[in-house]
Amino acid sequence: MTRLPNYLRTTRKRTALSQEEVAFLLGNHGGAKLCRHERFACLPKLETILAFEAIYHKPASELFAGLYQEIQRGIVARAKILAHKIECEKPNRHAALRRQTLINITSKSLN
Amino acid sequence: MTQPNKKDFRILSIAPSYRGFGFVVLEGEETIVEATDKTVKGDKNAQVLKKVEALIAHYQPDVLVMENTSVEGSRRWPRIRTLCKQITKRAELRKVRVKLYSREQVMKTFLPNGQGTKHDLAEIMAKRFPEQLGSQLPPKRKFYMNEDPRMAIFDAVALALMFRLKRTNQKPQTLD
Repeated sequence: MTRLPNYLRTTRKRTALSQEEVAFLLGNHGGAKLCRHERFACLPKLETILAFEAIYHKPASELFAGLYQEIQRGIVARAKILAHKIECEKPNRHAALRRQTLINITSKSLN
Repeated sequence: MTQPNKKDFRILSIAPSYRGFGFVVLEGEETIVEATDKTVKGDKNAQVLKKVEALIAHYQPDVLVMENTSVEGSRRWPRIRTLCKQITKRAELRKVRVKLYSREQVMKTFLPNGQGTKHDLAEIMAKRFPEQLGSQLPPKRKFYMNEDPRMAIFDAVALALMFRLKRTNQKPQTLD
């Protein structure tokens, strides 16, 4: 199952805060921008993402689960390509560590 | 290829009411993404259809669960029966699987001997999800009162849970 791009609305409803109240905490004038984020119409800035993390006490990877899943898939695909490249290279003292890092990336995505 | 987990489903459940409809989006094992009711005015069926289409586009559900109003013994109003058929058609056009359960099936699953009122069922659902639904449970209806539109939310939750139970072959007792 692909996750939804974000769970901002679900999380906000659990905290019983209104869009205007969260917008105020974010330092915005109205709830319009927040509404657009909640409807997946646009992606918030990094500052806003961190602010959401501070307001809801949830990691960004959980709040933006769908986006995180999509990014992770891309990284795993590229990690496999990189791992193949490393295998073709001459073995040196860094190769084992690099290989292990890439294995960690690919195995984490399976969990 | 790994087989998808039986619980890994996004369920959209819709319960039409006299003023609009109630809906719930259930994800994974027991995560309520959204549970609310929508009120419409004017051409109710057309308005509801428009809103349901928007919901399907927004939440991209794996399955749509609704009440089976064409079953013998169903006491739903002809407008609601037509609406249910229209929603089913729209969902199928969007390649969303549709699952229908009769009122009797739902009542038998959640209430002892299938005996009880709509409010009893709503109370069970509110106990199951106190954080999300506890505050939405309306007071018990008196004989002179109209039905609270929020009751449709609990009907939708019951239908969604019904689908999950059937899917995972769980018994309703495990819910409490």
